[in-house]
Amino acid sequence: MRQRIIQEIARSVVAAGGVDSILRALVEATSRGTGAMGCSLFTLDEDSGRLAPRISCGAGEVVSRLGQVLADNALRHILEGNPLFVWDVSGDPRLVQRQELEREGVTSTVFLPFRDRQGVRGIMGLYFGEAQKFNREDLDFLNSIGELGGMILHMAEARELVARDAEEARQSLARVQAERRHFLGFLSMVAHDLKSPLVAVQGYLKMLLRKGSDRLDERMLQGIRRSIQRIDGMMELISDLLELSRLESGQVLAELKTVSWEEVLSAAVEMAHELAEPKGILVSADIRRPLPEVFASDIRLQQLILNLVSNSVRFTPRGGRITVRAWHEDDAVTVSVEDEGTGIEPEKLPRIFEEFYKGDPESTEGTGLGLSICKRIVDMHHGDIWAESPVPETGKGTRVTFTIPVGVTCSMEERWKLAGERERVVVTRRRSEEG
Amino acid sequence: MGKKILLADDDPDVVEVVSMLLEDEGYEVVTARDGAAALEKIKLENPDLIILDLLMPHVDGFAVFDMLQDPRYERWSKIPVVILTSVREEVSNRRYELETGRKMDYAAYLEKPADPDQLLELVSRLTGSSG
Repeated sequence: MRQRIIQEIARSVVAAGGVDSILRALVEATSRGTGAMGCSLFTLDEDSGRLAPRISCGAGEVVSRLGQVLADNALRHILEGNPLFVWDVSGDPRLVQRQELEREGVTSTVFLPFRDRQGVRGIMGLYFGEAQKFNREDLDFLNSIGELGGMILHMAEARELVARDAEEARQSLARVQAERRHFLGFLSMVAHDLKSPLVAVQGYLKMLLRKGSDRLDERMLQGIRRSIQRIDGMMELISDLLELSRLESGQVLAELKTVSWEEVLSAAVEMAHELAEPKGILVSADIRRPLPEVFASDIRLQQLILNLVSNSVRFTPRGGRITVRAWHEDDAVTVSVEDEGTGIEPEKLPRIFEEFYKGDPESTEGTGLGLSICKRIVDMHHGDIWAESPVPETGKGTRVTFTIPVGVTCSMEERWKLAGERERVVVTRRRSEEG
Repeated sequence: MGKKILLADDDPDVVEVVSMLLEDEGYEVVTARDGAAALEKIKLENPDLIILDLLMPHVDGFAVFDMLQDPRYERWSKIPVVILTSVREEVSNRRYELETGRKMDYAAYLEKPADPDQLLELVSRLTGSSG
């Protein structure tokens, strides 16, 4: 009999899928294997501490509808981990529903505790039509079936929990991504709608400046020029905000390709000249070729260098010099932008990569977002960025340096994975708080 | 007589400012407020230059540009196109390439807000005139 029971259980449990179908297989196999007329499984609800019918077969279906079958002390005895064998239900005071069981044709019955490492998780009742003669050894064996069942229940639940968590995490991730895409679309639209009237207003102001210069006094003209500048600042802010959210949302992934550092740098240096020379600032470049290729976004890398240059231009007086250096060393490309400008006060240095941080809060120039955009781009490429002021070698100005590893693929993947992990932890924590 | 410029933009103030600028320099300006109107005006007016906004309702600037490459518009396909838009150049290029599989082959690309002198210089160079 024992071998048959074990085989039955093994075969059915292996074939079953979810928790309930595993338990059903277990109940049916045990019933069949022991030659019982039915079997029912009650599981302990952890919150209420009550037993509730979970799965049953044969005569067990009727029993599970009877409500409490066992006397309280007998029930306690089983929940403490001991099996209970009743040879003849008709005269046994440990059963409160003797007549009902008799009416169903039950003569003998065995109740087995379902145990896992945390203790008793439920009770399995087996109902026999003929009086059974179980010796100590038989009961021990049946008891170990209970233990086996407890372990199977535990495993099945754990498996289902993991699967459910993974699914929930996947869904939250997809939801977050969809929300981000939606938000970005919304933001682009808002940015466009904010910029359009500014473009129109600025257009009129520029025309006013062209056509009215002989009819307006210098103070008025200066006011118009300032208005044009302030509108420029506002449009820059809108562009930067949009840019930041583009970087955040991973939209950059579409721009990835194999990029030559040399091309990135020559384009960036050329644009740096265009940016600096009208202000009377000299740009010199020290690019140590050869530089490797990298899988990245060339637009972003150029933007990164150019943001640094445009910062330097802002703080460097006419006649000053900006130096762009780049070299390949230790599987990383390092680029630095150095100026002879006003420099950054030491206490402000740690905060310059923060969003909206401006060294001079009164300044109407710049948006305070340029360097945080730089930081995002560097992060995206798994690199590092830092600033020194004054430059140690010259004792003046500022030098911002970033280094980007060569063998690394630019990705938002890591960020998403992390976001997904966080979601999952939250989900799991919530579940254990509930449980 | 001045060269004829078609200006397609859905923003009436942009239309007004750019028209003012060009007309002051002696150009004849024809305007369209969306892509469909722009295509009509191109056939009707046969302009020397097209200044095209990209984001417009109904038929947008991308569609107008794409239509100009169509054999039905062969007569007008040589008209130089200046893109004047608030969309960044690389974003527009990528979008056009993704949607059509072709490069966007315009004469010039200006991001709004454009500098009046720069716009005038471009128009003058591309029409081979000073108005």
